[in-house]
Amino acid sequence: MVYMEISLTSLEQAIQTLEQQLDHETELDPQKLNTKYLGKRGLFNELSKQIKDISPKDRKQAGKLLNALKNSLQTKLGNLQLHKAEDWVDLTFPGTLPPQGHLHPVSQAIEEISEIFKKIGFTRARYPEVDWDYYAFGSLNMPPDHPARDEWETFFVDLPADKKMGKIVLTPHTSNGQVREMERLKGKPPIRMINIARCYRRQQDVTHTQMFHQFEGLVVDQGINIQHLKGTLDYFAKEFYGPGTKSRIRPFHFQFTEPSFEVDFSCHLCHGTGLIGGEKCSFCKSGWHEVGGAGMVHPNVLKAGGIDPNKYTGFAFGWGVERTYTLKEGLNIDDIRLLYSEEMRFFEQF
Amino acid sequence: MNILIPHHWLLEQLKTEAVPEKIQEYLSLSGPSIERVYEHGRERVYDIEITTNRVDSMSVRGVAREAAVILKQFDIPAKLVKNSLSFAQIKPTSKQLLPLPKITDKTKLCSRMSGVILQNVQRQPTPKWMADRLQLIEANVHDAAIDITNYVTHEQGHPIHAFDYDRIMQLGGEIIITLAKKGEKFTTLDGENYVATGGEVVYKNPAGKIIDLPAIKGTSNSAVSANTKNILLWIESIDPTKIRFASMTHAIRTVAAQLAEKGIDPHLAEPTMVKAVQLYQELCNAQIASEVYDAFPNQKIPPTITLDLHKIHAYLGLVLPTKKIIDILSALECQVKITRETLRIIPPTFRRDLNIPVDIIEEIARIYGYHQLPSKLMATSIPLSQQTDTNFQAENIAKHYLSNIGWQEVYTYSLISEELAKKSNWSVASHAKLINPLTDDKTYLRRSLIPSLLQVIETNSHLPELSVFELAHVYHPQNHGLPKEVLHLSLASNKSFPKVKGDLISLLKKFHISNVTVKPNLNEDAGFIKVDDIRIGQLKVIDKITIIEIIFTQLLPLMKTHPHYQPLPKTASVIEQLTFTLPTKTFIGPIITDISELSPKIKTVLLKGVYQQNYTLTIEYWDPQKNLTNENVRPLRKRIVKVIEKTYQAKLVGKLE
Repeated sequence: MVYMEISLTSLEQAIQTLEQQLDHETELDPQKLNTKYLGKRGLFNELSKQIKDISPKDRKQAGKLLNALKNSLQTKLGNLQLHKAEDWVDLTFPGTLPPQGHLHPVSQAIEEISEIFKKIGFTRARYPEVDWDYYAFGSLNMPPDHPARDEWETFFVDLPADKKMGKIVLTPHTSNGQVREMERLKGKPPIRMINIARCYRRQQDVTHTQMFHQFEGLVVDQGINIQHLKGTLDYFAKEFYGPGTKSRIRPFHFQFTEPSFEVDFSCHLCHGTGLIGGEKCSFCKSGWHEVGGAGMVHPNVLKAGGIDPNKYTGFAFGWGVERTYTLKEGLNIDDIRLLYSEEMRFFEQF
Repeated sequence: MNILIPHHWLLEQLKTEAVPEKIQEYLSLSGPSIERVYEHGRERVYDIEITTNRVDSMSVRGVAREAAVILKQFDIPAKLVKNSLSFAQIKPTSKQLLPLPKITDKTKLCSRMSGVILQNVQRQPTPKWMADRLQLIEANVHDAAIDITNYVTHEQGHPIHAFDYDRIMQLGGEIIITLAKKGEKFTTLDGENYVATGGEVVYKNPAGKIIDLPAIKGTSNSAVSANTKNILLWIESIDPTKIRFASMTHAIRTVAAQLAEKGIDPHLAEPTMVKAVQLYQELCNAQIASEVYDAFPNQKIPPTITLDLHKIHAYLGLVLPTKKIIDILSALECQVKITRETLRIIPPTFRRDLNIPVDIIEEIARIYGYHQLPSKLMATSIPLSQQTDTNFQAENIAKHYLSNIGWQEVYTYSLISEELAKKSNWSVASHAKLINPLTDDKTYLRRSLIPSLLQVIETNSHLPELSVFELAHVYHPQNHGLPKEVLHLSLASNKSFPKVKGDLISLLKKFHISNVTVKPNLNEDAGFIKVDDIRIGQLKVIDKITIIEIIFTQLLPLMKTHPHYQPLPKTASVIEQLTFTLPTKTFIGPIITDISELSPKIKTVLLKGVYQQNYTLTIEYWDPQKNLTNENVRPLRKRIVKVIEKTYQAKLVGKLE
């Protein structure tokens, strides 16, 4: 070994090591432990001998440290004897928690949604959150200035427009991924995609934030029909909200689907009846929760993606992650702005 | 768009015994969604959402027509009341006929223009029955002469306008339909002043003055006023895109404009006007003082849509009897012809939304009932091609790991204020900016997550310890095209620096990434984080808060799903400690690296502790071939001491053997 002066730091570390060693002893006999640590040739005495290797200026400090160690060892060993004598552990003693962080509820929801769709063969994709007007609207059968665009409350970005692609927008929905996914696969189905992304709309109240998340499903292949959309929705409803949850589709209108549907999930509290013990269900009010839109992909959208609408059909759906998540039984979040707040007392609950 | 319809008003157009609850349930399943039914006194009022493509349903009669078809599907008797309102019923009743103004359409954008003059219109209060209904639909009540137009629009579905006939004649007796020029001024009937941007369809008099903003709002110089005695009742059908352009440009979003911009069937002009004339006669004792003027130059003939039966079955996934299909389409007032397996369908004029085969499939499917279709998962093949530039699994692992070791995940807004933009390493001007932000604090697209995370820590400064992270995109504007979206994993914590750095190292270890170094910048508590020679991000300490910004996409190619297994050592290593006194502000990182790289026999070098300027390193020597002896280690030790003392002006504490 090297002969050298022992620094105070080394001594401190040796002290710490010794204390830890005692804490982790498996030997139960207090007497034996006492000899091992505090006996004449015990570990403490061995360590104390090193004081002669410590530089003279630090010796006083070293002495203090060793004294403190001796006291600590005596106390610990004394306690052991006490416990041994009464054979007693205070089981009501509060546990020491490790540091605990939390996954954001939106991450939890996204992960759960992704897993559910993965099981039935969907591939997760990611497409731009700042995209061309063409992908957000134009290729989705919504020419410029179409009245249907009003519903999207779109943010425009102050960057140069492109002759073909149009302006740059913050995607107001995840449907910009539809034609992009078709292009990625060079117009060759099968497509079974789930696209989850941040979206933006010019609105803000208890149920809307300027930024939110959507998940978009897109399935294109030969022989895809409305029954498959219903099957997928029912499957998701059961997986996400629990057994017995049903879905239903009702007529609606979107430019990029035909037919278009509004999707409802049955309330898991009243099971779609709107009544609990003869009283109106206070959670859903009508038996059903409206979650979002769906439809059979419009032939013009398939064409925009280079897919022959005479050969292939498909369905798509797109809903808000926050809305879908907050409908979970007993979750009880009544203001979704909390999700994007800086309120740690909120996040710590997840 | 939503429309309010009182139940008894609906029953004037629809014969049925169905109760409001059933009407709500069944219409919502197969037609327009009735969002709620509420009670108002003795009346029930439906609040109905009409989609933008179904402007034909934006009236009491339009909803009644849908209800008649849908209720029958649910075996509830229902019949649309026959509408016998036709221009033939309008015959002059006045002894003294008045001349119609001259009509000139310079735009050729009008498909139909209709008008009639009503004389001696008595100004009467709106009768209670009408006022009640207008209140139920949340419309304002004025007097009968004005309210009749709103009432018939709601009932029949076509906007109708009442001009002051005498003022039109005084203005020159001519309505010239033309496009406004930029800078021309007009004042709407509520006294608001506007300046044309050019291209709006307007009515002008011979002197070139704007005398109406048709299908949107009347102007104050021609509309009915308190002194009006004679009315020119007027309906026009103008190119919907022109209406939308003018309505959006001037933000005049009247009911009329919202209907007209969606393309109303011009055939509705007839029942709407006839019903209005009847009410003027009945409520205002008006006399008809002209023949009906009706120019219908651009009759749009509905398309013939060809649809193969197999296509219907392909969408529905089942075969419907052909008779059922034809019954449904006929009930919707389509003309249907069938030859072999092909349907030829001519939709009614009011269904301008029906143009291509899938439009017809939607009609068949919804009336048959989506609820009647089975539900099953697809049995088609599963795609195998995945995006290559993302790794969602790695993102999840990182997020889970960090939250499990005490970090709180946050989602902050990608849209930031100027103040936050300033706090990033990028100039405010280099950020992409929104053209139409909703609020000042969300105007720029962020280029760094750090300012947002620091704000979270600052907001929570009452917490003794807080560590937050976020995985999100930043947006870097490019010279051409879309901003570049880069996925960042950013962390901020007020824990001690070594703890934060340790968390980072252990996170990277999770992905089997080692050789992580930080290269400090001069004169700054900041530096780049490198893996081997690849820069993966940066690290900084500001006011005792450690911030880390990792470019997640840079990390992806470095990640491994599993380690490269090293055979377990068969020989023992020698471990010892060396303590060096270092000059102040000496970086310890390079010293550790230098020692590690001195010899392959030096297996690990760890910092054991620091006391003042004394740094104690634990060094492990190891040779896979043989057990090292003190003799073997001595020359290595000498070299270490020599190199470190020389390179770093260091001094070994103690002396070498």
